[in-house]
Amino acid sequence: MSRIGVFVCHCGLNIAKTVRVSELAEFAGTLPDVVVAADYKFMCSTPGQELIQNDIKKYNLDRVIVAACSPLMHEKTFRKVIANAGLNQYLLSIVNVREQDAWVTDSEDEATAKAKALINGAVYRARLLQPLTARFIDVNSDVMVVGGGITGIQAALELAETGKKVYLVERNSTIGGHMAQFDKTFPTLDCSACILTPKMDAVLQNPRIELMTYCEVEEVKGFVGNFDVKIRQKARYVDHSKCNACLACTEKCPGRGTSEWDEGLVKRKAIYIPFPQAVPQKPVIDRNACTYFKKGKCRLCEKACGQSAIAFDQEDTFREIKVGAVIVATGYDLMDTKPLVQYGYGKYPGVYHALEIERLFNSAGPTGGKVVMRDGREPQSIAILHCIGSRDKNHCEYCSRVCCMYSLKFAHLLKEKTHGDVYQLYIDMRAPGKGYEEFYNRLVEEDVKFIRGKAARVTDKTDNPDFAGKLVVEVDDTLTGRFATIPVDMVVLSPAMKPRTDAKEMARLFNLSTDKYGFFMEKHPKLAPLSTMTEGVFIAGACQGPKDIPDSVAQGTGAAAEALTIVVKDRLELEAATAIVNPASCCGCQSCVRVCPYGAPVFNREKNVSEINEALCKGCGLCAASCPASAIFTRHFTNDQVMAEMEGLMEF
Amino acid sequence: MSTALTPYLEMSQAIAEAGGEAFRKCYQCGTCTGTCPWSPVTEFSIRKLIRLSQFGYDGIEDLMWGCTTCKFCVDRCPRGVEIIDLVKSIRNMYAGGGLLPTSLRSFVGSLASRGNPWSGDVEKRNDWGKGKYPLFAEGMDYLYWTCCTVCYDPRNVLVAKASAEILNRSGLSWGLPGTDAQCCGESVKKVGDFDLFERIKGNNLGLFKAGGARKILTISPHCLATFKQEYGGDAEVVHFSELLDDLIRSGKIQPKKDRGGLKVTYHDPCYLGRHSGIYDAPRDILKALPGVELVEMDRIREQSMCCGGGGGGLWMERAKGERLSDLRVEEALATGATVLATSCPYCIAMLEDSVRTLNADDRIQVKDLTELVYESLEG
Amino acid sequence: MDFEPKILGIACNWCTYTGADLAGTTRLKYPQNVRTVRVMCSSRINPSFIIRAFQLGADGVLVGGCHPGDCHYGTGNLYARRKLAITKKILEFAGMDQKRFRVEWISASEGNKYAEIVEEFTRDLKALGPQNTFRIEKDSRERI
Repeated sequence: MSRIGVFVCHCGLNIAKTVRVSELAEFAGTLPDVVVAADYKFMCSTPGQELIQNDIKKYNLDRVIVAACSPLMHEKTFRKVIANAGLNQYLLSIVNVREQDAWVTDSEDEATAKAKALINGAVYRARLLQPLTARFIDVNSDVMVVGGGITGIQAALELAETGKKVYLVERNSTIGGHMAQFDKTFPTLDCSACILTPKMDAVLQNPRIELMTYCEVEEVKGFVGNFDVKIRQKARYVDHSKCNACLACTEKCPGRGTSEWDEGLVKRKAIYIPFPQAVPQKPVIDRNACTYFKKGKCRLCEKACGQSAIAFDQEDTFREIKVGAVIVATGYDLMDTKPLVQYGYGKYPGVYHALEIERLFNSAGPTGGKVVMRDGREPQSIAILHCIGSRDKNHCEYCSRVCCMYSLKFAHLLKEKTHGDVYQLYIDMRAPGKGYEEFYNRLVEEDVKFIRGKAARVTDKTDNPDFAGKLVVEVDDTLTGRFATIPVDMVVLSPAMKPRTDAKEMARLFNLSTDKYGFFMEKHPKLAPLSTMTEGVFIAGACQGPKDIPDSVAQGTGAAAEALTIVVKDRLELEAATAIVNPASCCGCQSCVRVCPYGAPVFNREKNVSEINEALCKGCGLCAASCPASAIFTRHFTNDQVMAEMEGLMEF
Repeated sequence: MSTALTPYLEMSQAIAEAGGEAFRKCYQCGTCTGTCPWSPVTEFSIRKLIRLSQFGYDGIEDLMWGCTTCKFCVDRCPRGVEIIDLVKSIRNMYAGGGLLPTSLRSFVGSLASRGNPWSGDVEKRNDWGKGKYPLFAEGMDYLYWTCCTVCYDPRNVLVAKASAEILNRSGLSWGLPGTDAQCCGESVKKVGDFDLFERIKGNNLGLFKAGGARKILTISPHCLATFKQEYGGDAEVVHFSELLDDLIRSGKIQPKKDRGGLKVTYHDPCYLGRHSGIYDAPRDILKALPGVELVEMDRIREQSMCCGGGGGGLWMERAKGERLSDLRVEEALATGATVLATSCPYCIAMLEDSVRTLNADDRIQVKDLTELVYESLEG
Repeated sequence: MDFEPKILGIACNWCTYTGADLAGTTRLKYPQNVRTVRVMCSSRINPSFIIRAFQLGADGVLVGGCHPGDCHYGTGNLYARRKLAITKKILEFAGMDQKRFRVEWISASEGNKYAEIVEEFTRDLKALGPQNTFRIEKDSRERI
């Protein structure tokens, strides 16, 4: 006989509006072994928690059931509540009457009936719950940050500042990310390099940050506090331990590759640093562009190098590191606009995408900061097209959040540099940040022409002789209700920000969920925006969804703090719900050993039975379900417990 | 032929240079059109006019005459766009191109040739007074600037007489301008003829100066606003309602006759209210009249509704159902008042006309404040 | 009264249970015929759970897990997939209409998919009518 208390939460009106809570509590009171049942407005609040704790003492309860929101929301909260009242924290059962009941129906009768069945199931299960003892593991105090854009840089610097060792892993040959491509940042028009390059340098100088450029994460094993990460150092063909960054090699190199940094607008050398302020300042060889790799001779760089640092025979190498927490800050890709043929990107040389324009503005860019088009002309009229691919069911349904603002920035810079006419074709102007609306107002007053209407087509075909040699943008000017044709020299597309093309693989690597667009999913959109379903792995910046620089930096700092909450501890409490083998039933078939992804079951040859190494077990239950002898129990999810719950659920 | 719009930024630039620059600030929220008194009764959209102007799109000429410059939208605009300036400059651009509507041509023509909009003989300007009232001479307290409309429009002549009689009893020294006085030019500026306005302004400023006028008293709020905001002379400009309020407070005139529970409602003229900020003086006057009860309409003071007579509207034809003055009279009738008081010759002309066409003469009378005060004086 | 089928849901903690929560937070509406047991991984599901559910009177059983390849534990759902495919065959062999047993991969972001599947499954089960193939009345049940 157990003594169960059932506590029904109203959650304000969230539950109480649809579920008849007092009827539910009354019903719970009639169930076997239930000695007290109560309902209260907010069970998670201080008075709600006290109510539970008082009843535990008053009625000498040994099991507690809370009918409230999802266990994913507050199971931990209520575990603490009962633990503080002296009960083992695993003697708790949460009934999800909010997310999976009250919120998904309008019918009071249906919701109340379902809630009764769910509570009945919980009572059946609760009677079989066992107290479990928490496990502790040692924590590795180092952190790995993946992605060397502004978010990752910020996170790494903050962590290093607290004295922790940080591995900053970046797949390019320099850190800096997209921000290093920009000339100015909105809305302050701060010079991007002036605020970014000192941080890049700070990373390089910080003895606690191990900068790993041209590296990719290959494999992640282990769990919170103890991740084992395998990292691939891609072959640079330059021995950076010898290189003194004189860059004589790049001068002599006859090879030509496409400059990724300049968005393909120009060529670069085969041995190169992406841009003059790159960190580190040491070059790599682009194998596909290198004359020696293609034709078997050249080696001019080798001759130019006084340090004998060129190493054509270099190969990818691997390294294992151990960290306690991981921050994923892998950023975004700009949507490829070629498939949107109506805008003529790739067809008309006068059509540019946002990152190309960023490079045209940049004094370190291909034009030295002059706005000249591919044909060498300076544009006298420019149309900036918002929402290319964003807010579009056919492409990216979401708003990319930053395009309105950077389009305004473009308009300002284009006005400043060309004195031409600048049009903005927008659906809605979104300027919700600090100083953003003011920036918008400023641009309005700079006589930028705002056309409310999504551009429908860009063409160079026109009957109008006045439009000869122009690109004509066709749009429904919704504010006049008329179809308009805008002749311009240059068209700038503001495309959607998308997840990295390999975000899916990254998600698998780090065991992250992705949202329906492929961005990494946070544990809770409001209360745990940087945490993920994998404990110890945090996300920050644009890999979670489109974000501007201030938000990315804030998240980088936030993720550093989150990671610190783990690595600051010496030991960490782990979920106690692990598997255990009953040696009397074990037939020694080793099915469990074969299926476990963590290598937790080990076969004891002396006793001829399997044993579970609890430190490695994550409690998934695969071994239990695979055991032909039913010799393995998954604590907290035993066959009896699960089937008892099922029985309870099916009774009503 | 293509029906597509194409920006004509040179036109937009020209409008800006003509003084309408502030329209660039507009972000097309529509507060103006939502506020505009015309929106419930016509298709006119001031927002659309701004839109077309921003891009120099075709269609400006079809919209530009709709505005009566009531200033309601300007006061509400979240971006501080001086919409009336834009309207003026658009009209200036287009009126210069010979696009003045027929209905406005006679009034502008009359102004150009006779200095008044009513085709009145120049020498008959002061005939309404039959020589009873003094002409202004140096040293007098007030130059009483009678608006052309109170001089020539038969209905408004009654206002001229009532006001002059009050002045005569006030003990102030005052005089009328000579017949070389011309219209203040407010309407002609609003319809976009800036050159003519400058000519008229030069003439009148010359008169002020030559006569040595220190204080100018106006009966029309249009004169008041124009002198104060456009002329820039040295003389102090006072509206009749302000003076009247002072005269009553100081006891210089004493309206004592009991009107026996006369219900009066008051219509705020746009140029007295929103343009000049005078809301209390007229009401204080009405409250000081014995036996007069002030009953307010729904839309008053800063929220007052235009009569439709501003910005050249007085001379434009409007179809029945599109007349703001009709709506305003109906609103006045709904208060139960038997007198609709106001303090502007244009409003009087517009409202009087509506009372007649609505056959409401037996239910309500339109009166100027001066008329009501004069009627309350004994003897 | 119309026949209201009972669906026993078994959902993995990381994907389908979270997806079902998402259906709630986005206030999607679906029939209340499903009652869900949460397990950590779909691989925890023992075929006997399914049979037991039918014995207990479930008219349908819905198992939900992460998309193959997206398992929180790496490979758990791949084992579950094989095991449950066989379970389905066994059920069919034992005379159970296989339409009463569904295995679905529903990710944490697929709240709408969860709601749609419950909707569809409920409709199908209504058409099939009550499940009496395995049902054992309470009095004559024994523990497995």
